[in-house]
Amino acid sequence: MVELRGVSYQVDRTVILHDITTRFQPNRFNVILGPNGAGKSTLLRVATGLLQPTAGDVRYGDQVVSSFSATDLARKRAVLSQHVELAFALTVEDVALMGRYPHYERVPSRRDRDIVQQALALVGMDDKRRQQYPTLSGGEQQKVQLARVLAQIWNDGDGAEHTYLFLDEPTTSLDVHYQIHLLDVARGLLHHDCTIVAILHDLNVAFQYGDVFFVMDAGRLAHVATAAAEVSRDLIERVFQVQAHRIHDPDTGDAVWRFALQSNGRRGGTGT
Amino acid sequence: MPRLPRAVSLVLCAVCALAACGRFADRSTRATQHARVVSVSKQINEFLYAIGGQSDLVAVDLTSIYPPEIRTLPTVGYHRALSAEGIISMRPTLFLTDGNVGPDAVLQQLRAVGIPIEVMRPGGTLDSAEILLTNLGRYFHREQAADSVLARWKTGMSAVWADTARWNSQRRPRVLLMHFGQIINNYLAVNRGSPADQMIRWAGGENAMDSLGGMTRITPELIARAAPDVIIATEVGFDRYGDAKQFAAMPGISLTPAGRSGRIYRITEQEVMYFGPRTPATVKKIAAMLHP
Amino acid sequence: MLKHLSFRQTYWLLGVLLVVAIVASAAIGAFSFTPAQMVRYLGQAAGWLPAVPGDTLGRNVLLGLRLPRVFVAGLTGAVLGVSGTLMQGLFRNPIVEPGLVGTSAGAALGAALVFVFGSGTALAFTHPLGSFAVPVAAFIVGFAATMLVHRLSTSFGKVNVFTLLLAGIAVNAVCGAGTGFLSYIARDPQARNITFWNLGTFTTADWRGVELIGVFFGLSFIWALRYGKALNALMLGENEAAYLGVNPRRLILWLLVVNTIMVAVATAMVGVIAFVGLVIPHVLRMMKSADYNFLLPASALLGAVLMEVIDIVARVIIPPAELPIGIITAVVGAPVFLGILLRQTRRGGSGFYG
Repeated sequence: MVELRGVSYQVDRTVILHDITTRFQPNRFNVILGPNGAGKSTLLRVATGLLQPTAGDVRYGDQVVSSFSATDLARKRAVLSQHVELAFALTVEDVALMGRYPHYERVPSRRDRDIVQQALALVGMDDKRRQQYPTLSGGEQQKVQLARVLAQIWNDGDGAEHTYLFLDEPTTSLDVHYQIHLLDVARGLLHHDCTIVAILHDLNVAFQYGDVFFVMDAGRLAHVATAAAEVSRDLIERVFQVQAHRIHDPDTGDAVWRFALQSNGRRGGTGT
Repeated sequence: MPRLPRAVSLVLCAVCALAACGRFADRSTRATQHARVVSVSKQINEFLYAIGGQSDLVAVDLTSIYPPEIRTLPTVGYHRALSAEGIISMRPTLFLTDGNVGPDAVLQQLRAVGIPIEVMRPGGTLDSAEILLTNLGRYFHREQAADSVLARWKTGMSAVWADTARWNSQRRPRVLLMHFGQIINNYLAVNRGSPADQMIRWAGGENAMDSLGGMTRITPELIARAAPDVIIATEVGFDRYGDAKQFAAMPGISLTPAGRSGRIYRITEQEVMYFGPRTPATVKKIAAMLHP
Repeated sequence: MLKHLSFRQTYWLLGVLLVVAIVASAAIGAFSFTPAQMVRYLGQAAGWLPAVPGDTLGRNVLLGLRLPRVFVAGLTGAVLGVSGTLMQGLFRNPIVEPGLVGTSAGAALGAALVFVFGSGTALAFTHPLGSFAVPVAAFIVGFAATMLVHRLSTSFGKVNVFTLLLAGIAVNAVCGAGTGFLSYIARDPQARNITFWNLGTFTTADWRGVELIGVFFGLSFIWALRYGKALNALMLGENEAAYLGVNPRRLILWLLVVNTIMVAVATAMVGVIAFVGLVIPHVLRMMKSADYNFLLPASALLGAVLMEVIDIVARVIIPPAELPIGIITAVVGAPVFLGILLRQTRRGGSGFYG
């Protein structure tokens, strides 16, 4: 569980996060939603421990994040970013192995290498492990990054502790195939004692994969919903400044949202 | 001395090195006598040849190019950029210098290996140059030759001074002596107090530069203020333009009396930068330029 | 071709090359030694063989001039190779080396300040106190120059390669102007040394120099080896490295300090030598791997080999005179530099490398 108590974040005079108190649920796919500039990225960075809040604290379980050593923290929480640029030609294997860096001093162990192997297999990049990273497509590169991140918090179920996976808009600029594959794999971690916190910009994808929803608006937490159905149309229209329109998939019964821009700020449209 | 951007210095050095390549390849087989002398001063070397004491020379520095025969000897490099190993590889029994050597460590390294070093400072006056010649004569057992060269030299100087008296009664033309500094890639004007300035005065001229000592970097304003009647340029600088007319086209020079009248002459560096047995002839040459 | 060898095999190969290069460098030059002579002289010096009077000159030259020079050249090559690797890790860009980002030029300016205001180079090289003034001054100014370039070229945590090159040019120019001014106002003996030493030379190498450079290189290298992993992580970006447990700010600062110490000491002894730091890591990446755990030791070895070869060339091309080292490294390095730059602009486009 990731717990935020009274977290605020301020840069010079600008307050980016206002007094946020909430909990990201363990073994759940927690999704942070909100328009651009709402503070989602900042909230994530504070939750990962990269940024220190100017007020309040962040805890993993009982312990305050800032009290962990850098290595200990790196062993229990991993972050997959939007896009990682690599200037030099390393192999896929080399990049994925970096996920194990917090786990060994000088030389990777047999186990470290096995884990990397498994992680690459999980994302389907195993056969390309000797290939040069810069020669891969965007989607493949992101898969390798995911493998690295998975390797970092790999949980064999050998009594290891709870781990935390943070995803910062990991599917931006990926085609639908890679998007789904990546999120499927991520969700797989939920069976291995993990808390997932993700920023997803596509509301439909978010509702499809998420379990708990944290809607942010202008640096504050506007609403926390424990089910997709709980996120009301009113809320979406207000926070995102759009006309929202929910329809139901005739095959599965799942809700799917359609959007259009508001005209003159008036609410309109038909439907539920 | 002002310094160029490093890259251009590198290129210059490379060019110098390549240009001098011919001299580096040659290995003299002559010096089989017991004495092997490496001498890295162009003035000392000129004097040695003048008194016929050059048979012991096995290697010289890059700037020793007079008399022409000296070019058959191998060189150990630029006198301010020497390498001890190179000098030692010539198996010298003596390392002779005028004191102007670099880097400093080279002398220590030579001493450490037991190579005798002789420093003979030429000084900046006619008298000290004459003493240098005499010392060289004594050192290389060419006293008679040295004496006769010295005698001829002194006679020559007396004749020069007689003429000087004559010219001093007339109006003395303003003379600008321009030297080309290869390291800084710019022209320099020779100031008062130097041997070259002295020679100009003996030739009945007056240095157009007011400053004392050393050389000053040339700028168009400087040339305009100097307003020389005659310009004498050392060979490297003169040859960059080829002839007097092209030289006169340099910015600032074309407006001077020298530029307008085309009185721009060429002289070699080794004739004017220090005093030597050729000085009487050099002064006569300059006088001819100043008083046609 | 090296791709088929393991890391360990590559180190062995480079090690063998280094030994060969050292022996060749010790043997070749205006003064040539046969292997038999070298063994004999070393034996005499160690006291195992009786001293032969006819051997004195050769022995003195080998032990007093040639060997120190061989070791200074090798150590300097190692310093520059490792420095190039560290700096490329720091700036996350392959077009970086101490000569291009102001470290060498700053070190040169620092040393020149001591030369001119510290009563001459004779004092700096032989006086016990003076011998520390030069490397210390070289370190201070070299460090300031590198920090300045780093600050100027980094924005939002990313390094813009064009700003980097421009800032490097600017800082180099300022340091060069400073050194030029100092040679202008310097009295003759000091000025001579500044100009000459600006081109890099091993002719003034002595055993003291071997000790100094050896000690500082050794310490810096051992320290740097511990951070191969961290440098790899840094390749992903400062944030990513932080997520992996690396403290990027602290690492970068320490990298800069250690690197500048190494380069400053070497530059203070032998003058400014550029391009080696650029070429070595580039060649190693092309031939084997960009992994810093490999690059660090390999660049030390290959750097030493390259410098020995260059020193041999400097000595045999115009005997008995010598070509300044800086000329040869420029001739070799400049085309490599242009090649890398062209490849980057063709591939990269924006020039940003996070």
